[in-house]
Amino acid sequence: MIEVEGLTKRYGAFTAVRGLSFTVRPGEVLGLVGPNGAGKTSTLRCLAGIIPASEGSVRIAGNDLAVDPVAAKRALAFFPDEPRLFDYLTVRQHLAFVARIYGVVHYEDLARSLLAELELVEKADVLPGELSRGMKQKLVIACGLLHSPSVIFFDEPLTGLDPLGIRRMKDSIVRRARDGAAIVLSSHLLHLLEEVCTHVLILKKGDKVAVGTLAEVSTQFSNGEPNVSLEEIFIRATGGSET
Amino acid sequence: MIGALLYLRLTSLRNLVVYRVSRMRQPKYLVGTAAAAAYFYFVLLRRSAFPRTPSATALFSGVGTITMTFLCVGFSTLALLRVAYAWISPAEKPGLRFSEAEIAFLFPAPVTRKTLIHFRLLSAQLAILFTSVLMAFLFNRFGYLGGNRAMRAVGWWVILSTFDLHLNGTNLTLARLREKSSAFVAWRVAVVAAIALYLAAVVWLTAAFAKAAPPGDFSSAIGASGFIHALMDSSPLRWLLLPFRIVFGPYFASGFREFGMAMIPALLLLALHYYWVSNTEAPFEEGSIALAEKRAAAKAAALAGESPKIGGSRPRARSGPFPLSPKGPPEIAFLWKNLLSMRSSLLNRRMVLISIWVVFCLSIGLRPLLMARSRGGGADVVSPIVVMFCAMLAVYTLLLGPQVVRQDLRNDLPNADILKTYPLEGWRLAFGELLAPTVILTLSLWLSILVCAVIIDPGGSIGWLTPGVRVTTALCMASAAPFLCFIQLIVPNAIMVLLPGWYQASRSRAGGIEMFGQRLIFGVAQLLVALLAAAPAGCAAVLIIFAAQWVVGAGPAIGLACAAVLTILVGEAAVGLWWLGGRFEKLDLSADIR
Ligand SMILES: Nc1ncnc2c1ncn2[C@@H]1O[C@H](COP(=O)(O)OP(=O)(O)O)[C@@H](O)[C@H]1O
Ligand SMILES: [Mg+2]
Repeated sequence: MIEVEGLTKRYGAFTAVRGLSFTVRPGEVLGLVGPNGAGKTSTLRCLAGIIPASEGSVRIAGNDLAVDPVAAKRALAFFPDEPRLFDYLTVRQHLAFVARIYGVVHYEDLARSLLAELELVEKADVLPGELSRGMKQKLVIACGLLHSPSVIFFDEPLTGLDPLGIRRMKDSIVRRARDGAAIVLSSHLLHLLEEVCTHVLILKKGDKVAVGTLAEVSTQFSNGEPNVSLEEIFIRATGGSET
Repeated sequence: MIGALLYLRLTSLRNLVVYRVSRMRQPKYLVGTAAAAAYFYFVLLRRSAFPRTPSATALFSGVGTITMTFLCVGFSTLALLRVAYAWISPAEKPGLRFSEAEIAFLFPAPVTRKTLIHFRLLSAQLAILFTSVLMAFLFNRFGYLGGNRAMRAVGWWVILSTFDLHLNGTNLTLARLREKSSAFVAWRVAVVAAIALYLAAVVWLTAAFAKAAPPGDFSSAIGASGFIHALMDSSPLRWLLLPFRIVFGPYFASGFREFGMAMIPALLLLALHYYWVSNTEAPFEEGSIALAEKRAAAKAAALAGESPKIGGSRPRARSGPFPLSPKGPPEIAFLWKNLLSMRSSLLNRRMVLISIWVVFCLSIGLRPLLMARSRGGGADVVSPIVVMFCAMLAVYTLLLGPQVVRQDLRNDLPNADILKTYPLEGWRLAFGELLAPTVILTLSLWLSILVCAVIIDPGGSIGWLTPGVRVTTALCMASAAPFLCFIQLIVPNAIMVLLPGWYQASRSRAGGIEMFGQRLIFGVAQLLVALLAAAPAGCAAVLIIFAAQWVVGAGPAIGLACAAVLTILVGEAAVGLWWLGGRFEKLDLSADIR
């Protein structure tokens, strides 16, 4: 469960995100959509407790991120747009490290099934430098899921993947939601999120343009015309220009 | 074309300056730049303060000749080896050095190859001009040899330009040979053999001259420089070294006349090189693209926080330093991880440290021997030296160690976002990250304390220094060591958290003067913190020992003082850690590195 109230993020005098409020319940997937620079990454970084919000409150699984960050962080996982790994730790050592950090006592079985699910078994004793980008991303996901988070954030999870990778990533996200996780993911392409998201929030220069289920947002911007593509809706909602 | 190049360079430079200056509105950058500027003013621009008496001048010019000769021999040897290397192992496709952006804009542009070569030469010229001026200031110390800074700068310009042209010519020739000639390998063998023969001849002639020369007075710098002059003028060598003498001529000139005379052949040689480079028709484009990609990849790796791989060796997967169970304090996970990363990237440095320590351990073995000698009435000169060495090493460990062993927050900077999503308070995270280097530095300190404790034995000549006092002192120092190391390690980590932009710049090798200022501030800060941290503890220790030894005796007094010192150090470390953790929680990498 993610509850956001009046979230605002300022960098000096510049406001990157203005007064966002929304709730994501277990099993829901919220797509954060907007052109480059709309404030998606800033929002996600605030939600994951990486940078403090300038105003507003964020509650993760019932814990206020500003009041009890440790409890809130225990329940969440964040996946940045670039896979970030430790250069000198093998795949297996990454999992051991993360298990100790989160105190996942019997992690071996879970790790084994995650490695199998993500097809990393053969690479278990390999350093990240020898992994392809797709495999690095899988390892990051295995690490993030090891403590069974109930709240998951993905920043641009589909960028840089090949079609098969996109397919698998989508399946993986949908599966986590079905298992009861509350998920927020960002993308600058609305139509890629079609099969994944239950809800979307369209951002433009830090402002909320629209929020609701995909169907609701579609009707809001189709002006009564039938069969308007999601791409077209995205362009109408965000004014088309990238800033 | 040249207009475009100038526009590109000058605009980039202007933007860089504007960016740096605008950043100075943040006080932390202003202070840093001011420190660098002050240093440069005092060290480089200030007049050199050598005495000007005739004998001193002679001595200094002797030393100067030797130093400069070594500099030139070193530079020439490196240049020669670099050229030989190009011939021995030419790139798959030899190319010229362009940046990726330059390739993207220039190679498809409607210009000839010759223009591209000129672009490359000119853009190197800008760098060379800058380096020449800088070098002239840096080696300002040889001012007593005569000549002035402008002449030195021109001298450097001649040397660097000739080398740059020669290397470009070599690469172009190689590219051309590879494409046109079937005897590519034969050509290469011939050239490499010629270079080897040349080197052998020079070495052999030098050795022969040294043997034949009368046993000169090498003990003084003047005698040695006289030898060098005689060597350079000896008959065959004089001709063999002619190309190098021409190139270095203007640099060594001591007056305007001599400088002018030296410039004539130097410029002629430069013109010949220019003719060679600009008239070698060779396909260099593909090679340049490959080269640019390689350089961009290396730069990206450096920016991502990876340490440069020596000899291109990749890190190897290793087993952890100890088995990591999922239960227990999470800080230990960082110790485990950082020790693991140390094992591959620090191996070479560690080997050095280990060999040093082997020497020290041997000195312990020597002790009985020393004792026997001093008992036999001879003065013991070795053990004071060993002790001094140990003390110096301990000081280095405390002051420089934190800069060398950096498997802590600093190495994890690129992963800061991930670390911050961990369910740990900032101070716990910082504590975990600092553990590994603390362990390494502490071990080093403990060894030097051990050696000192074993070696220092006045054998009863100092009454109160009983074996009991010695052991107590050693133990007390050993127990304070980890806290001292920890406090010292907080300093560079705090600097990184405060100035992540600067810190990153120093890793990408693009920092230039800023990086220099940064190093300077790092060093000063390290020293200051060491003094500030040690002062209260030291004062307390002295006071307690002085007051208590009358009552309880030296040994217990030292123990009492140790307890006080530990309390103070732990307090300091806790405050530093708490502060560092708080700063790390607030750190926003994207704000500084953009
Ligand atoms: N650390 C920062 N300091 C200043 N401005 C920033 C910082 N991070 C992001 N911004 C600005 O905030 C805006 C939103 O950025 P971001 O959240 O990365 O957008 P998105 O992820 O949607 O592309 C952009 O205009 C960006 O330039
Ligand atoms: Mg983004």
